[in-house]
Amino acid sequence: MSKSVSLLLAILFPVLAGTALLVVRKKDDRKKILAYVGVVLGITGVLVINALTTKETEIVLFELMEHVPIVLKLDGFGKLFLAIVSIVWILAGCFSFTYMKHEKNEKRYFGFYLVTFGVLVGLGCAGNLITMYAFYEFMTLVSFPLVIHNQSKEAVMAGLKYLFYSFFGAYMALFGLFFLCRYTTTLTFTAGGTLNMELVAGHETLLLVAACLMLVGFGVKAGMFPLHAWLPTAHPVAPAPASAALSGIIVKAGVLAIVRVVFYLFGADFIRGTWVQYLFLTFALITVFMGSMLAYREKVLKKRLAYSTVSQLSYILFGIALLNPVGLTGSMLHMIAHAFIKCALFLCAGAIIFQTGITNVDDLKGIGKKMPLTIWCFTIVSLGLIGIPPTGGFISKWYLATGALDSGIAGFQYAGPIVLLISALLTAGYLLPVTIKGFFPGDDFDYDKLEKCEPGKWMTVPLVILAALSVVIGMFPNGLLSYIQAIAAGLM
Amino acid sequence: MNEVMLLIIVLFPFAAGVLIPLLPFKNRRWMMIYIELVVVINSILVWLLLFNRPDGAFTLLKFTGNLSVTFHLDGLACIFAGLVSALWPLATLYSFEYMKHEEHEKIFFMFYTMTFGVTLGIATSANILSMYFFYELLTLVTTPLVLHTLTREAVLASRTYLYYSLGGAAFAFIGMIFIIVYGSTTDFVYGGVLDLANYTGSVNLLLFIYVLAFMGFGVKAAICPFCSWLPKAGVAPTPVTALLHAVAVVKSGAFAIMRLTYYCFGTEFLKGTWAQYTVMSITIFTIVFGCSMAVRERHLKRRLAYSTISNLSYILFGLTIMTPLGLVGALTHMICHAVMKICSFFCAGAVMYKTGRSYVYELDGFGRKMPKTFGIFTISAFALMGVPGLCGFISKFNLAKAAVESENVLAYVGIAALLISAILTAIYMLTIVIRAFFPKQGFDYNSIRDVEDPNWVMILPLSLFVVGMVVLGLHPQPLIELFTNVANGLF
Repeated sequence: MSKSVSLLLAILFPVLAGTALLVVRKKDDRKKILAYVGVVLGITGVLVINALTTKETEIVLFELMEHVPIVLKLDGFGKLFLAIVSIVWILAGCFSFTYMKHEKNEKRYFGFYLVTFGVLVGLGCAGNLITMYAFYEFMTLVSFPLVIHNQSKEAVMAGLKYLFYSFFGAYMALFGLFFLCRYTTTLTFTAGGTLNMELVAGHETLLLVAACLMLVGFGVKAGMFPLHAWLPTAHPVAPAPASAALSGIIVKAGVLAIVRVVFYLFGADFIRGTWVQYLFLTFALITVFMGSMLAYREKVLKKRLAYSTVSQLSYILFGIALLNPVGLTGSMLHMIAHAFIKCALFLCAGAIIFQTGITNVDDLKGIGKKMPLTIWCFTIVSLGLIGIPPTGGFISKWYLATGALDSGIAGFQYAGPIVLLISALLTAGYLLPVTIKGFFPGDDFDYDKLEKCEPGKWMTVPLVILAALSVVIGMFPNGLLSYIQAIAAGLM
Repeated sequence: MNEVMLLIIVLFPFAAGVLIPLLPFKNRRWMMIYIELVVVINSILVWLLLFNRPDGAFTLLKFTGNLSVTFHLDGLACIFAGLVSALWPLATLYSFEYMKHEEHEKIFFMFYTMTFGVTLGIATSANILSMYFFYELLTLVTTPLVLHTLTREAVLASRTYLYYSLGGAAFAFIGMIFIIVYGSTTDFVYGGVLDLANYTGSVNLLLFIYVLAFMGFGVKAAICPFCSWLPKAGVAPTPVTALLHAVAVVKSGAFAIMRLTYYCFGTEFLKGTWAQYTVMSITIFTIVFGCSMAVRERHLKRRLAYSTISNLSYILFGLTIMTPLGLVGALTHMICHAVMKICSFFCAGAVMYKTGRSYVYELDGFGRKMPKTFGIFTISAFALMGVPGLCGFISKFNLAKAAVESENVLAYVGIAALLISAILTAIYMLTIVIRAFFPKQGFDYNSIRDVEDPNWVMILPLSLFVVGMVVLGLHPQPLIELFTNVANGLF
């Protein structure tokens, strides 16, 4: 299969299949819809694998305007993103087969779920800034129905908040895009940056402002302070598998965009040592700390997990902001680890809601006795998020901390690892109580009333796979590590 | 083609319009056929002319000296004439259905068709006097259209419209006089006609006059202190609001300012002066002001009217950058906005026509009952927001590109205004879309049982506009090349 066809297919197939599901008005029974969705997810998975095996090439689809082509290009970093997306998306999709039973409008949910899949694949394949921006906006629009799925007043308000924060961020980024159009040699992502230094001379401040706006703008999706407020509102109101996908993947789109802008357009050298880097580091660290604190205080499990996402995403951003290969390696590792872990955590929360209806952490006493497998998975991935060896989280945090110490940036060199450590403690503080209460309910727990309510295999299997993945990448990181280190080294 | 054709495309719809109340039509159907034929034939004539452009000019009347009413089809005229003649037949088709239940149909269609001719007159004017003449005439023939329903509200609105327009024209008149006195010719010449060598002492006076004339013509283009007529005029039937108050009339204002800036005073004279900064600041302010008002407004059509105010200032912002690229941006947005806004207005009109509802909060759950109308409305909303792949993104991109290349700090502020306006656009358009498609939990669809999509006469123009938005959004290059030629005075 030619390369352009294989990339296009992987993008268009889920989009079209999802649209078909949305448009067709016939009343199908549930089984048919699920079978259809399952098949589409499977085929998309195969198509993505097929795309991953192609060599890196640049495909110009067409010229939107003169010098503004729409380009697809799958490089090492894009492949990494695509791999995470498809694993998480397919697993969370399987989970929704059971979970969505107790929600209405399943067809709409699955329709948009598939369309979003395609758009995310497109985002990973985007070869220049315009293409990426287009997919970025599409992603906001098509993931919106997932957020407001149950159409309660709360969900709609949260959805609007999501939408407008996202657009606000996207338009801030667009401001930078306009300037990049003029001051770069090409908008195609090129390792090391494409700034046209002759034109830039004399306009450095302007471009730094543009860079800053782009970072903050794309940072909205990644839940970075100061525009993070939408995330803890919007993620928990969605149905659990959608929250898992949003918190595991969609937020990573912001990370992807920031990496693309920093390392592939501006170039690390242009930003290193400027006020933009310090601002970026400061925002990231503030967010890490603030997110953990808020998560620690929060009692509703899904909200707590959403705050945790805010905090963890800024670990990744911190690693990027260090602008050195070690930090970037840590970021990419954490991106992978967090995707699996956060998805698993949200799915656990979903399984608990589905089986027992409990949403509050305080009510979870003895839950481990009722659904041992689910809570075991929860525990394993929690340990991963805290960063206890041999889980994936440990490796990534190790690299992040080493990167910070290596960076030699006065202040941040030590402040970074300290904040990461404090946040790790807080992470333990907000995640482990679920396990502790779940397995050790205390003397007053009434064991006679206990009934097993382990969820069905469509729910448990994805959980187990995700938990296993999070451990595997920590225990056998070498292959992945050398792949990532090669990418990171190529960017500096 | 012969130059006389220039006169014919202006006179034919004008005369055919006047005849409408006089002709003894058997029934409504015949009248519809007659009107549609007139409009379509005229549009075909215009498009034929565009592809076989007469080089010369046609002088209709000659007053003293160099004062005359003359027609000429240059590049800029081609764009505007092409735009209105592409939209007019579709809008007419739509209004047949819309006007079914309204009274005084004949009078309505008489003025509606006459306006076509007058607008083409503005487009093809070869000098500032002819343009001024048709500009005044446009006010006169469109006032009855605003007045149409004869309600108290309509009377007040038409009075406001009349006073604002005539007042604006008076300022424009002052500008015209100065051009006649200080210019080497009254014809439109790319690059300006001012004879600077002789009048170096009156530079500031001329700049002041430019600002005055800008504001004068700006009344029709709804710039900020003079924009309140536009939302009020929303009481007119939807075909009028959509075609005239989103395209023909308001864009005549923008078009006149293009003529004034690029073809009379000349950008070389204006660029970098306080006059440029003044007018640019006004447009930037209007961009944000219009959007903010649209967010506050609850009446569907008035909300779209405020959106028009903001979008018209995108065009004006582009042309106040005063570079060829700026003019390209302005022209691109002129075309793109025309398609997007007429489309969203027609959707609003379809809702009003089929259900009589006109407030945003009454639209809960309509998406499922009017899937076609609201599907199209959603696309137009995305286009207005500037989602890539649709035409709004292209025009915004071009405007911003021009602003960046001009290296003018105020223009950078303008880009920020464009983006603030984009986020506000997202707010005021998407809240409607979300209401329609995702009503609150437990919404009772029985309460809107009677709501349904309109018939093909309304859906057809809408679908064509969608095609237009997508084509312009994905393949704008030929048009942009044309605009670039026009903006460089090559076409």
